[in-house]
Amino acid sequence: MEFFFISTLNGVIYGLLLFMVSAGLSLIFGMMGVLNFAHASFYMLGAYLAYALSSVFGFWGGILLAPILVGLLGMVIERGLLRKVHAHGHAHELLLTFGLAMIIAETIKLFFGDFPVNYQIPTELRFSAFTVYGTNYPFYRLFIGFVAVMMFIGLWLLLSRTRIGIVVRAAERLPAMAEALGHNIPVVFMGVFGAGAALAGLAGAVAGAFYPTNPNMAAELGVIVFVVVVVGGLGSLKGSLVASLLIGLFSSFAVGLDWSLAQLFGLFGLGEWAQSVGGLMTLELSSVSGTIPFALMLIVLLVRPAGLMGERN
Amino acid sequence: MSATSKFLIIGLALLVSIALPPFLSAGWQNALNTMLIASLFALSFNLLAGQAGLLSFGHAAYFGVGAFAALHLMLAVEDGLPVPTPLLPLAGALAGLVAGVVSGWFSTMRSGVYFALVTLAIAELFHSLTPHLQGLFGGESGISSMRMPWMGIRFATILEVYYLTLGWFVICAVLLWAYTRTPFGRLTLALRDNEQRVRFMGYDAHVSKTLIFTVSAMFSGVAGALQAVTNETANYDLFSAGVSSQVVLFTYVGGATLFFGPVFGAVAFTVFAFLMSDLTRSWLFYQGLIFVLVMLYAPHGIGGALAMQLRQWRELDWRRLVKPYATATVGGLMIAAGVVFLTETVSILFGLDYEHARTLTPDYLPDFTLMGQVWSPVAVSTWVLPAVLLIGGIALLQVARRWLDHSDDAMAASDTETSKGSV
Repeated sequence: MEFFFISTLNGVIYGLLLFMVSAGLSLIFGMMGVLNFAHASFYMLGAYLAYALSSVFGFWGGILLAPILVGLLGMVIERGLLRKVHAHGHAHELLLTFGLAMIIAETIKLFFGDFPVNYQIPTELRFSAFTVYGTNYPFYRLFIGFVAVMMFIGLWLLLSRTRIGIVVRAAERLPAMAEALGHNIPVVFMGVFGAGAALAGLAGAVAGAFYPTNPNMAAELGVIVFVVVVVGGLGSLKGSLVASLLIGLFSSFAVGLDWSLAQLFGLFGLGEWAQSVGGLMTLELSSVSGTIPFALMLIVLLVRPAGLMGERN
Repeated sequence: MSATSKFLIIGLALLVSIALPPFLSAGWQNALNTMLIASLFALSFNLLAGQAGLLSFGHAAYFGVGAFAALHLMLAVEDGLPVPTPLLPLAGALAGLVAGVVSGWFSTMRSGVYFALVTLAIAELFHSLTPHLQGLFGGESGISSMRMPWMGIRFATILEVYYLTLGWFVICAVLLWAYTRTPFGRLTLALRDNEQRVRFMGYDAHVSKTLIFTVSAMFSGVAGALQAVTNETANYDLFSAGVSSQVVLFTYVGGATLFFGPVFGAVAFTVFAFLMSDLTRSWLFYQGLIFVLVMLYAPHGIGGALAMQLRQWRELDWRRLVKPYATATVGGLMIAAGVVFLTETVSILFGLDYEHARTLTPDYLPDFTLMGQVWSPVAVSTWVLPAVLLIGGIALLQVARRWLDHSDDAMAASDTETSKGSV
């Protein structure tokens, strides 16, 4: 029971963190058709900027300023770089963001070195929220989840209840029509790209203090975020949320379970045979927890390519 | 460029690559060997990316599978299996073929971004699974073996290995080139340009794409096997995203639209990496920068841009172009120098050594050495130099651009005049 409760809580919060990053990626893809390889780099940049700024402006100042800076950078990238290669097609845009991801990672290594930096939670936030089964549950984990939920509500209200939201949704559905009605679509695109980058930056700033902040964090999270948006359906915000929670729960439960295929075969009396085969059969679930998301993504892509909640293929 | 001059250049390159290496140091021989492997990998990747228009982000999977297959065969040879050492890459080809059929069948069910994501997922699947498979991939430490002698050749020096690699590279490159000349090679291009029309003509697009994928994976397997034969070891790191992204980089910087473009990219980057990796820690930063610049300003790659100039060699008015081209070159070099200066300065100022030096002199910022000169981080001259280089370089590029636009206008004007005259 203890395992179940703690794993669920951890899984949900990790899922919410994934959502913070994948929301922007999904939004950008839905609108511009650009799969942004550099999106997880914005997450990493958010963490590093917050770390650098927190020494000057304090922890809260860092968390507040880092997303703004990352958002501005996102706008510059969209306006100055992506738009330039737009004429060459989506594959070219993909390659450009792929190169940008490399540059951002190397720039961070240049300034902060190859090793993790000491980005810490401030002492006033370092307390346990509650105690279950004798273990203290850190408050900061709940705080990460809280920020993500607030972000989801804010984003949802913005998109569905405001005038800006209507224009953004119109620009996503029929950009030419929205432009004909007098809306400045290039600015909308730039704004959405910047907002998506800022959200990833916020996620990095908040989560970087809890999880390790190192130059590999973008590459590690990046592939998982791709999995999330594909499983949820590229372009669907709700799908991203569901898929994030799903992947978060999957990975937090898998770490603690030692099930294997051999045990499954054991239920049908084939246990000894499976044990003797070895290899894949005896691999424990906990050791392949990193593999599960990719397997899930492959299955979704092949069975339901539009994703769980996506509309188009 | 005529066909004869093409053959002449290729023949000359072949002659140099056979005759030159014995006179080079072991380090250079090793670099040349790496270059050939990277070139073959990039060529096979480009069959898929450039010719079929299927952008794969997980080609490391087939490279790695080929390497491990070759190592398993090498282990078997050690135990007495009578397979000659030069034929080891065939194991890589077979493994790449099998892996290619399976993952090609699944990944080509989707196209565009989804195809890229499936290939990425397959490679990540390999990367995350292989460290846990002790028998097949040797766990986290990987597997190692030894090259066995064959027919008096001991394969003990890097030079012998280099000639083996060269032989395989030439065979594979000829095969891949011949492939483009077959009707199926034409179909590959057609699939990229208009898949729907290919379907209307009665071809099964999915089967064709699976075949193309398989051929590409097979040759990647050969490249991986050659790497395994060279290093005599391999571990799960071969499946990492870094390997997949390197080949993307080589191909697109070299030029995906040309057959030998990827070779150009692979050769250029390996030589630079060999020369630079001792000099600077920021090599990967420059690599990324070059890639993005090429994507922005030479969408068909450096090879593509050069080929276009060569094609118009006769039509261009070189007397008019010499001045702007020379100016642009100087401008580009100035910008490059400025960027390198700034990057290296940052790398030193934010490095661990400098941090240590600062603790020794807490009152002021100590000087640092760069390119044999001593610089002070607070002196104006340290920062004026890169600023001048950057601003001057950009200005020169602008001037060159204006001249070029101007000469284009002039050329267009003279063209219309002659056409009027002929009418």
